[in-house]
Order: sequence, then C-alpha cells, then structure tokens
Amino acid sequence: MSTSTPMINRYKWYEIIGIYCGIALFLIFVLSPFVEGFLVSLKPLSRLFSSPYRFWPEHGSFAAYSTMWESVPGFARYVFNSLFISGVATVVVLMLVVPAAYAFARFRFPGRGPLLGAFLAVNMFSGAVLIIPLFRLMRSMGVLNTYWAMIVPGVAFLIPTAIWLLRTYMLRIPKELEEAAYVDGASRLYTFRRVILPLAMPGITVVAITTFINAYSQQFIYALTFNSKTDYMPLPIGLFAYFGRQEVIWNELMAASFVGIAPAMIVIFFLQRHLVSGLTAGAVK
Amino acid sequence: MRSVLGQLHLNKVTKSFGDIKVIKGVTLDIQDGEFVVFVGPSGCGKSTLLRIIAGLDDATTGDIVIDGAKVNDLAPVNRGIAMVFQSYALYPHMTVFENIAFPLRVEKMPEAELTAKVEAVAKVLQLDQRLQQKPGALSGGQRQRVAIGRAIVREPKIFLFDEPLSNLDAALRADMRIELTKMHHDLAATMIYVTHDQIEAMTMADRIVVLNGGFVSQVGKPLELYHKPQNKFVAGFIGNPKMNFLPATCTAAGPDGVTVTCEGQTIMVPVEPRNGLIGKTLTLGIRPEHIHLGKGDIRFDVVPTVVERLGVNTIVYATATGAEPFSAMLPGAANVSVDTPSTIGFNAADCHLFDGADQALERRTDLHEIDMAQLAAQSA
Repeated sequence: MSTSTPMINRYKWYEIIGIYCGIALFLIFVLSPFVEGFLVSLKPLSRLFSSPYRFWPEHGSFAAYSTMWESVPGFARYVFNSLFISGVATVVVLMLVVPAAYAFARFRFPGRGPLLGAFLAVNMFSGAVLIIPLFRLMRSMGVLNTYWAMIVPGVAFLIPTAIWLLRTYMLRIPKELEEAAYVDGASRLYTFRRVILPLAMPGITVVAITTFINAYSQQFIYALTFNSKTDYMPLPIGLFAYFGRQEVIWNELMAASFVGIAPAMIVIFFLQRHLVSGLTAGAVK
Repeated sequence: MRSVLGQLHLNKVTKSFGDIKVIKGVTLDIQDGEFVVFVGPSGCGKSTLLRIIAGLDDATTGDIVIDGAKVNDLAPVNRGIAMVFQSYALYPHMTVFENIAFPLRVEKMPEAELTAKVEAVAKVLQLDQRLQQKPGALSGGQRQRVAIGRAIVREPKIFLFDEPLSNLDAALRADMRIELTKMHHDLAATMIYVTHDQIEAMTMADRIVVLNGGFVSQVGKPLELYHKPQNKFVAGFIGNPKMNFLPATCTAAGPDGVTVTCEGQTIMVPVEPRNGLIGKTLTLGIRPEHIHLGKGDIRFDVVPTVVERLGVNTIVYATATGAEPFSAMLPGAANVSVDTPSTIGFNAADCHLFDGADQALERRTDLHEIDMAQLAAQSA
C-alpha cells in the first residue's frame, strides 16, 4: 500500500463524506454571520434594504472601506486603543500569571486547591454581573475614565483561565529538572529563569495569545461603563459612532468591524501554528 | 588525582511520609572511594535513602555525616555530592556543552576555565563531537553520558546514581556498566548506586547494601552475599533464578554441623550450630545452580513444567512436593523434558539453613572465592 495513513485513521468513503458534512454544517453555522457581514460591507447603503433582499451584492464595491475613515475620523484611534488595552492587559497578565502558575504547579501550600477552585468560580461570573461593585471600586481607586479603567478589570477576569492553562503546561515539565538544578547548586530563581521559563515558552505563548484575544473581545463592557472619554474608547465602542441620528451606516459599520478585527486576525494567523501545537502538546506527552 | 575525601556515615536514619515509615532506621558506613550499591525490591526505600543522602529529602530522624561533618541541614551543593538521575534530567533546551557547564555556570566560574573543564570532561566521555547538539539529538547512551558529565564536572566527593541504566536496552546497559566501573577506577571517587538489578549490583559493587522494607537486610561484598546470606530474604534476592526453599526438620546439631531431614532423607549441613534447634522446623535453601541431575546427597523426583534452554545451561522449572515452585540450573543441554519425571539432587555442602525467624545459620564455607589472595594461592 502506498498510503502511510495509520490504520486507526482510515475511514470508508461514506464515513469521510459524513465527516465532511458534519464539518460543513458546523462551519456554515459559525461562519455565515461573517460572510453576510462581509457582503453587507460591499453593498451600497441605498441597496441594503432593497426588496426583495438579495444575498449577493449588486454594484458591489469596496467603497465603504475608504468612506468609513471619513464618517468616523477617530476610528484609527479606536483600533489603536483596543490594541493598546489588550497589549497592556496581556503583558500584565503574563507578569502575574507566569510566577503564579509555577507556584500552583510546584509548591504545596495551604489553600492551594481551594484557591484554584476560587479562580474557576470567578470565571463563572461574567464581568457584567459585577459591573456595579466594579464601578464603585474603580471610582474609589480614581481610575475611571483612564485606560486603567479598562485594563484592570480585564486583567482580573483574564487571570484565572491563564493560570489554569499555564499550570497544566508547567505540571508537564519533569520535576527532576528542578531537582537536578537544585543538586547542582542553582537557586529557585535561577532555575526558574534558566530552566523553567525556556521550557514553558510554548505554554506562555499560548496563554499570551488567548489572553490577547480575550482582552480584545471583552473590553466592550468595561469601556462602556468605566470610561466616557472618546479618546480612550476602544474599537467596540468606536463602532457605535456609525450609528447616526437618523440611520445606521450599515455597510461602513461592517467594513469597520472587519478592519477592526484585522490586527487580531493577523496576530492569530502568524501564531496559529504555535497555538495549535502548544495546546495539543498539553494533552498528549 | 583527587585529594577530596568522600566518607559517608548514616546514623539511625529514618524517614516517614505522613504515617508511613519508609526508612526504619539505617546505620551505615561508606569508606572513601568505595563503590556501594543499594539494592532491593521496589518500595524498599533505596531511592528514598539516596535522596536523603543527596539532600533532596530530609531525614525524619538520624544524622547524615560526610567527612566527619553533619550535613543534615546543608543544601546538596554544599554536601559535596553530585547526582545522576534515572531520567537523566537533561535540560532539553540547552546544548550538551551548556548541560555539562550548568553547575559551573551556577558557580559563576570564569568562561575560560569553564570551557576548559567542560571540554576535558567531554573528551573523557567521548562527547567532544556532540557538544553543540541538543539532548534530543543524542542516543540513550549518549544522554546518559551527558548526565554523568554534568556530575563529574563539579568534582564532587560523592557520586549518587539513581537507577541510571534502567532506561537503556540490555546491550547498552552492559556497556555502560563496564564504563561506570572504569570511571570509578579512574576517578577513585565514592559512588553510591541505586538499582533493582542484581546483576548491576553484583558486577559493579565493592559492597552491596540489601534493603528490605526500610531496613538494611545485609551489607557485604557481592560474593559474601551470595555465599553467606544472613537471612532468607538476601538468600532469595541475590541469585537468579532465585534460591529454592524446602522445609526441613532438625534432628541433631553438633560441632560439625546441623543434621536435618528433608524430603525423607537425612543430611548433615556444615553450618554453625545453635542451641535448641533439635526438633524445630527449619528452611533449607539450595541455589538452582547447585542442583545436579540424578546425583547428590539428597535426591528426589520432580516433574518439569517449563524447560528453558540457554545453550550454556538449561533452566528447569518444576513443582516439587512442596507448594513452592522449584527451579534448577543444569549445565549444558540437560536431558530433561516437560512432564517427564526426572531425578535431581544436591549436596549438603551447598545447602543453606534458616531458622524459624528466617535468620541464616552461618555456613562453614571458606570464602576463597571472595578472597583474591586465597584464590591466587589455590590456582598456583
């Protein structure tokens, strides 16, 4: 046989058709909003509500992608704000989570289990439930209407997942490596820097990517509540600028959405390989 | 070559994990330059004992003394020990050079001196062509050598090995065994070696420490353990296939030995007698390699159930009259076959006797096989 597919991965033709049908169904469900959003962004505004509704755009053009910058002059700033908030949040999360995950993976201390459980429990609340207490907290800290108002709660809600993800990764680093370093006279910190950090790098990358994406997508609610300064508005709020007094500029809104998520898409695109291998590496040795 | 001493003394060391006592009081003296092997079945505490000596685990009670200084509270590096782990514990992201250099980097040794030392060690271990490779690119034996190199480079007083060969295949294991013995000779360092493999213990050790259930069962030279096991456990543990045990009744005890009845026959075993043995049920031990086909002071019939032909000898497994399985190692291609009764026998001089508490009655064997001077005199 010329094929080198392992026996366990071989399927009959009808099984293959079934598998692909399943994947197609799933993909249609997930991707169709994006497809329609993209098609809307190509349509002239006047044709949007033409009846009968046409799925495929007539007189389609990319005009909305250039006019969107004029309708909302601050849009570039919003995209930058989003990137900035997510970037800072990711850096802060990593600085806190890397040592914390190591501690949870290696040290036995009273309350370790309950603490890990508590982190999971925090994740069960969405930020929205806690918005009022958070608001009071932000106000007393005096960070309302600053970048910190969006970064701090974002970081708080991103830490639990990041700790769980990285702890699992760090548990897989053999303990003997640390023992060997200890026998050779290395301090905890030296071992952490020279041995653990380099070995945990794929795991840290995974955490960085997921944290960045989540920070990018979750800033909406905090921005809406804790910030009223236009200059600090991130992308999701910025999109509201396309909601005019009389009408919504749908085509430009859709175009702006796609332009807005482009930076995140580019990040994912380049790190995708790392992301996948990192995550599966956590499952199988 | 070396001026550092590596004398180790364990004084009543115990170790408990919670309520479970793993080491139940070990007192042991290890001389400078000795190759000592800790051997015992899984869970006997041999690895734990090694980790206590290393300073990775602390002793619950008792003292660890190296060169006259109590080191209980010292970090491993200050004890002057180096350890080779079963899993090698190499740093996968570093080159072989950096792996070996790691202890020196920790010491902040100047670059030139460090390079010279690492290269010298690499040369000894035939790793000089591999210095820029990562451990992942090496074979099992080479990885093992890198791990040893990392231990040697620090020039410790005492080397600790935790089952270092158990991940290698049989052929490589035999090679590494010889290399390690040679290395011990060249370095003249104290080495403590943990294994569950009695071949490694017998071939490499100056002295073997047999551990059983957290106690030291016996300490002695390899052949001493083979010829004069102090108890039934050591007798059964050393030697492969393991020693056969038969029930025997003591009928007389005199200055020449102890007379027992076994399999309905009476023999006099040349062992040190003890008071109050007469009438007691003893255990008679006979090694498979001391069993002969058709002759001996005691003879009886067995029915072989499995026959293994190894060329140099034939191993017969049979059910004897007792419940315990019985094995015999016969020279060459012996004339035995499965399900056909064969008469086997053994001589009284080869027998071991154990009392009701499984303690051996000391054999009257002259240990000429242990004493090299006597051995030389005999062959001359």
